[in-house]
Amino acid sequence: MKNIKLTVNGEKFEEQIDNRLLLVDFLRDNLSLTGTHVGCTYEGVCGACTIHLDGDAVKSCMLLAVQADGHNITTVEGLSAEGSLSNLQQAFNDEHGLQCGYCTPGILMNMADFLTENPNPSDEQIRHGLIGNLCRCTGYVHIVRAVKKAAKMLKDGAREDRT
Amino acid sequence: MYPAEIKEYHKPDSVEQVLEIIANHEEGESLLLAGGQSAMQAIKSRMLRPQCIIDLQDLQELKTINDESETLKIGAMVRYCELAKSSALNINFTGLKDAAAHVGDRQVRNRGTIGGSVCWNYAAACTPAAVLALDGSMHLISSGGETKVICADDFFLGPLDTAKSESDVLVSVSFKKPKTRSGSAYKKWGLVKDALPVVGIGAFVKLDSNGSCYEARIALTGMGVGAQRATAGETLLLGSDGDQQSIEAATESICANIDAPTDLSATSDYRYQLIRSIGTEVILTAFKRASI
Repeated sequence: MKNIKLTVNGEKFEEQIDNRLLLVDFLRDNLSLTGTHVGCTYEGVCGACTIHLDGDAVKSCMLLAVQADGHNITTVEGLSAEGSLSNLQQAFNDEHGLQCGYCTPGILMNMADFLTENPNPSDEQIRHGLIGNLCRCTGYVHIVRAVKKAAKMLKDGAREDRT
Repeated sequence: MYPAEIKEYHKPDSVEQVLEIIANHEEGESLLLAGGQSAMQAIKSRMLRPQCIIDLQDLQELKTINDESETLKIGAMVRYCELAKSSALNINFTGLKDAAAHVGDRQVRNRGTIGGSVCWNYAAACTPAAVLALDGSMHLISSGGETKVICADDFFLGPLDTAKSESDVLVSVSFKKPKTRSGSAYKKWGLVKDALPVVGIGAFVKLDSNGSCYEARIALTGMGVGAQRATAGETLLLGSDGDQQSIEAATESICANIDAPTDLSATSDYRYQLIRSIGTEVILTAFKRASI
């Protein structure tokens, strides 16, 4: 057991946890932040559990929760400010970038980080960025369109909140 | 896929502390964790059941790229995403950049490290092959505090096997800067984009003032035996200026001298064809980069 202190979506938490607890389970079971999904039984291949660790998109099933001690985490619940959708979320809604929605939280978290690094992405760059996220419904066409639209919205300053 | 019990977890912030924790445990009890993008898979599948995990993420001294006058020294905890963007690798060591930019996916590259990859030495990993082609050296600190330097040819012993002993800590991977023009490249082909390579090839050429190759290194991965040199091909590039005939002779010689296995991903013949096509492209790119 180990005591950890970390910040999740701007809120500070302190918890006593088992060393072997995976970060994704800590977020879902201990903090009840169930927006972060488990799509592939913790094999690290689906990307549905993608979160931001100190701003970088990483898969939370590939980390022990104890490793996040002292770090800053953002989950999909932290993407939108005050109940309004972020530009990226709005673009996914507008372009119908999801069907069943299971992979969506991971895709949003990966693409939010991607767009800060690639403000003017080509289709090819978006598809390359999406390799770590499996979607079995959409065929990615609408997802790529949504990310492209989000990039434009961010550039045009459509909303002032975060990616 | 869920880890077995882990009794201890440590997050030291100096190499000395790491060595101390290792020394306090029996052999086989502790495990060094770098980015964890391979090791965590092994821990979750219980192929590894470490009693004690030593997390290296707070070792700031292992996170820098030092562009020194004669060598380029890359800290063991430098991540793929940082390698892929680093301008320090632009001139001679672009081959390592090529490899790092296409490991796994964005999330893996945001976390995975050069040190973790070379120490894990997975059978079909890109980084060991790129480091082998670029003639890298592993700098280790062993339990007594003494430094060991092991060149790539002696370090990679086969899949999941290296010359690093359990009590060693890898601190950096260094590359000697050639005194003449040089160029390098790496490319792989996998079943889907950026997947583990079915075949991956790295090449490094050094040219004299006439543009003629006086030293060449070629390394392969994906043949089931880990990163391996293709010395037969290297010899045929000596004296070449990157002409098509020499490159063709080199790739043909690699095919004739290396066993390509048949497995679920590809047949032996298909692998030989990949060696010819990717090999030609990689060697040509290395020559072009050397000529700039």
